[in-house]
Amino acid sequence: MEKKIVLPGEKIADSRINAPNTYIDGNATYAAVIGSVDNEGRYISLENRYKPFVGDTIIGMVTDIRRAGYLVDMNIPHSGLIVSREVRLKLQLGDVVLCRVKMVNEVGEVELGEVRRLPKGKIVEFPTAKIPRLIGRKSSMLNLLKEHAGGDVMVGNNGYVWVSEKSDIPLFLKAVEMMKLKAHTSGLTDEIAAMLQKR
Amino acid sequence: MGEKVQLIIDGKRTDGRTPDEMRDIRIEAGILKEADGSSYIEWGGNKIICGVYGPRECIPRHGASPYHAIVKCRYMMSPFASLEEHGRSGPSRRSVELSKVIRETFENLILVEKFPNTQIDLFIDVLQANGGTRTASITAATVALVNAGIPMKDMVSAVAVGKADDTLVLDLNKAEDNQGQSDMPLAISHKDKKLLLVQMDGLLTKEEIAKMVDMADKGCEQLHEMQSAGLKGVYEQEGKKLEW
Repeated sequence: MEKKIVLPGEKIADSRINAPNTYIDGNATYAAVIGSVDNEGRYISLENRYKPFVGDTIIGMVTDIRRAGYLVDMNIPHSGLIVSREVRLKLQLGDVVLCRVKMVNEVGEVELGEVRRLPKGKIVEFPTAKIPRLIGRKSSMLNLLKEHAGGDVMVGNNGYVWVSEKSDIPLFLKAVEMMKLKAHTSGLTDEIAAMLQKR
Repeated sequence: MGEKVQLIIDGKRTDGRTPDEMRDIRIEAGILKEADGSSYIEWGGNKIICGVYGPRECIPRHGASPYHAIVKCRYMMSPFASLEEHGRSGPSRRSVELSKVIRETFENLILVEKFPNTQIDLFIDVLQANGGTRTASITAATVALVNAGIPMKDMVSAVAVGKADDTLVLDLNKAEDNQGQSDMPLAISHKDKKLLLVQMDGLLTKEEIAKMVDMADKGCEQLHEMQSAGLKGVYEQEGKKLEW
């Protein structure tokens, strides 16, 4: 498929389309971040900043314990909040949690719910624009990684990836690093599979 | 002012360029690993590195706005950047001014309303200076912001136009800047052709200014090509860069 890179300010449609990472000026839609447009005119951003939405699954780390609840680092400018009277769990500093975004207010402060504590592991940062490649079609890439690294992997919408300590973390990191660099190329799953097999 | 120097001889400038020719420029994006976005520019004798962080938590907290992100810019010349800077860094009258004009250029471009209560940091370090660092900084900072994925309305490039020996010249070098008659740095956005920075030293007539804006516009078109080549280079080379 033919892909063209567009830069901020380039027109991507002659109509008013409400899409992420674009803006509308007059009767046209323009790109706001660097992205690619395929021959059907679909615009996908290549780099972006994570903005939380209600219903997102996120991975975070408990950074502070307050009377009202737990503050969670979740790769956004402010910490997310788990309200303690709404969870049965007792969390500790440094605990890694998987939760769902319950509420986002107009200044971007986040309340989290459906909290699950994850077992010991490692958090890896991954650019949010490239997460679809990390998961792959029908989770093909994720299954491949789980199979070769031999442990559980969880991906949050916020760009944090958790990998259990039982898996081969160096191998996992190597694969993730490769994906970061080649996320925009096609045939990535095959390439990663070849790399993993070589080991 | 020192002695009068002949800046244009037989229609050629001190570095052998014609009046409407720019210096050699090379732009690279994504050169820093830890920064969210980064760029490096070599513009004649100028060498500038630029890093972008954010949007992140606003420090100090009372400086934050619930309506938009705060753009912060720190322009700094290295102690070894040029002869005039004598071995000390830190804020000076000049660097404070440049930080301000660069910040104001980008406040008009970044979609700041999308990130309330945050700040976006722009760090610009001049490693080597040879005239025209503010324009080169703006050109490089745009590339770094796009590389960081911060939403912007438009891209901007900047170039200085001036007058030396009664001739209008594009992209002034240090000698023309210091000994020429006039100097006018301009930042022009690519899509809307908006003037986002205009400063002027010396005296110019109305007609001259109109002519100079046209010259700068042509220069900025060339610069935009180089900026986009630098940005696209990240995605074209990445496969090759990878070595295990």
